[in-house]
Amino acid sequence: MFEEEALPHLDAVYRVALRLSGNETQAEDLTQETMLKAYRSWSQYREGTNARAWLLTILRNTFINEYRRTRRMGPTVDVTEVESFTVFRDVQEVDPEGRFFDDIVDDDVLRAIDALPEEFRETLVLSDVEGLPYAEIAKITEVPVGTVKSRLFRARQALQAQLYDYAIEMGYIKKREAAE
Amino acid sequence: MTDRPRAIDCAEVMERLYEYLDGELTTERSDEVKAHLQDCAPCTALSSFETTYIRFLEARTRTRNAPEELKKRILKEMLFPQDDS
Repeated sequence: MFEEEALPHLDAVYRVALRLSGNETQAEDLTQETMLKAYRSWSQYREGTNARAWLLTILRNTFINEYRRTRRMGPTVDVTEVESFTVFRDVQEVDPEGRFFDDIVDDDVLRAIDALPEEFRETLVLSDVEGLPYAEIAKITEVPVGTVKSRLFRARQALQAQLYDYAIEMGYIKKREAAE
Repeated sequence: MTDRPRAIDCAEVMERLYEYLDGELTTERSDEVKAHLQDCAPCTALSSFETTYIRFLEARTRTRNAPEELKKRILKEMLFPQDDS
């Protein structure tokens, strides 16, 4: 039944909608439209398959077809320039356990996620916010699993670098002295 | 007894680290990473740093739920569809 299988995922749909659209009003509209579309086409859902992934696919299509026209403003982070594991290298002497993460508040984490380019943001949200396996993310975003892997890698690394820069700026962690 | 996992180097561990932490590797590939981590302190340190990071992301981003008002609105719309036309 829709009430039992789909409705419990309303929060997940809202969280992803919020990160896709970038604002609460649009996220609410998107969530409502997604849930109602899903409700009306419930007969197409194959029982026993992943209801959350099904809903998130409807959400993504609704967003692309009806909402993306109003493009999001704001700066996007360049994910191509990020080198692997540089933050870890930089904090190794001062904070190898990554305690500085604890000082960063939720809103700043979400803002940093919002600055990722769309395809990287959606991959990271589906993985780290919603905990979906790579294969499900590949299905929802219509790309091969290899692309999910590389997008997730770059998204996580770019986000980490951003959070690290932010932590330095806020004085949560000291910048590593440049080697002489 | 099974064979020892194939030895892999640090570069390979770094390349597969996220897949390893996300539980996306096959048992065989995962055992290779695990075996390397047991003998390599720098990779173990990196692995635990990245684990902290991923848990931090999960903890900070999974807290928001849909507003109660929205839930009510959706339920109402399901039960008594409005004709907007």
